[in-house]
Amino acid sequence: MLASSVQRSKSNPYPSKARSALVRRIVLTVLVLGALTLLTISFRSPTSGALHDAQGIAASGLRPFQIAAARVARPFRDAYDYVDGLASAKSQNEKLRREVSRLRAQASASEALAARSAELEKLLKYEQGKTYPKDYRAVNAAVTSFPAGPFTQQIAIDAGADRGLRINTPVVSGDGLVGRVTNVYSHSAVVTLLTDANSYVSARDLDTGVRGLIRHGQGNTLILDQVAKQVVVNKGDQLVTDGTRDARYPDLYPYGIPIGTVSSVGIQDTASFLQVQVEPYANLGSLDSVAALVATKGG
Amino acid sequence: MSLLDGGKAAVLLFVAAIAQVSIFGQARVLGAVPDLLLVTLVAVALLRGSLAGAVGGFYAGLLVDSASLGELGLTSLVLTVSGYWIGRYGETTGRDRAHAPFLSVAVVTVLYGFGLLVVHFVLGESAPAGAVVRSLAPAIAMNLVLTGPVYALVRRLLRPENRDELSAEVQLLG
Repeated sequence: MLASSVQRSKSNPYPSKARSALVRRIVLTVLVLGALTLLTISFRSPTSGALHDAQGIAASGLRPFQIAAARVARPFRDAYDYVDGLASAKSQNEKLRREVSRLRAQASASEALAARSAELEKLLKYEQGKTYPKDYRAVNAAVTSFPAGPFTQQIAIDAGADRGLRINTPVVSGDGLVGRVTNVYSHSAVVTLLTDANSYVSARDLDTGVRGLIRHGQGNTLILDQVAKQVVVNKGDQLVTDGTRDARYPDLYPYGIPIGTVSSVGIQDTASFLQVQVEPYANLGSLDSVAALVATKGG
Repeated sequence: MSLLDGGKAAVLLFVAAIAQVSIFGQARVLGAVPDLLLVTLVAVALLRGSLAGAVGGFYAGLLVDSASLGELGLTSLVLTVSGYWIGRYGETTGRDRAHAPFLSVAVVTVLYGFGLLVVHFVLGESAPAGAVVRSLAPAIAMNLVLTGPVYALVRRLLRPENRDELSAEVQLLG
């Protein structure tokens, strides 16, 4: 037995291993370079160019599938909402929320007008300026994609240049300010939310008349910045957009859009300004439909 | 990977990408979003290798960036690398191991989050590391919940290939 020749098992030489490894690495390199190229072009010209147009066409092509997916998911979402609502006394809650929303809108509108009346005379010449955002029409749009993580504070909506949207068009929900349009395609647009790091809105405290700048804070919260320590801001104060105060420097947002309420006010010795936390009226994490405010004159 | 398998994988990733953008993007729990697309890509990469993982990641990333009107190429870049890496794991040490999909999803969820963080940071955009760290645990938990059914579905559509067809650069003894 020992002398007999033993058939050595045929080793698997993987004849194509080296070649397939080479192909694999080449493909990976090409794909990574392709992604980097797309990213570079997209980053350098985010609002125009062939790639921008191609992306708009692709987005239009994908929209029917997105709408279909949303419709398929709708019963499950409704069921979830129903169960969730039962646990929190849905009917009463819903009724009260509608009531609060309606009253808040009325109150904000009334107070905005009242607060404005004192300055109407002063601002009259500004309001009559060509660039003053006097009239807006609402373009209703459905939200087609949502912020998918902490990096993205943008949503996509199904209205675009075809319906008059432009870059910097203000966008609101039924509750209050949502953000502004930062990229426009023919049939869709990208809306950057108030919670984005690059979002700044000049705001006015309706109760005290204090002005400041709404920007994002820690953990997707909002803060009212640039408010001097000497002035008074109280918890519960209502904030609205400050609008254009000087026709030479038109604001992106018209006056009086509800933004939110002051949720806390803090003072630190080392800080230059008050630390004012703001609770936005609009539920930025759950938007189904929004309205873009398209200027009808001079915009 | 046959043409039929490629078609199946493309359809799977297409459906996952659309569902991710249109449905799962809204399901935010403790700051995290369940990532059906990432889980599906992991399953495809484990079952069909690094090449399919990389190509699938690139394709899925393009779909997501197009549908969400995001920066084209950003998601593709991270998903391509993720798909390739998981594919290599599947081709070598991860093959035939029951825990491979779960381990891969957990690891890739972390790497994907930090990969996006790095890309955003390099681009000079907002890159909140604290938010990423805080959302990691719920993101991993939700993705692991999805892993079982998604992997089973993908495995049913893309039957595991013959072992000999896979590369074996790392062989286990014994």
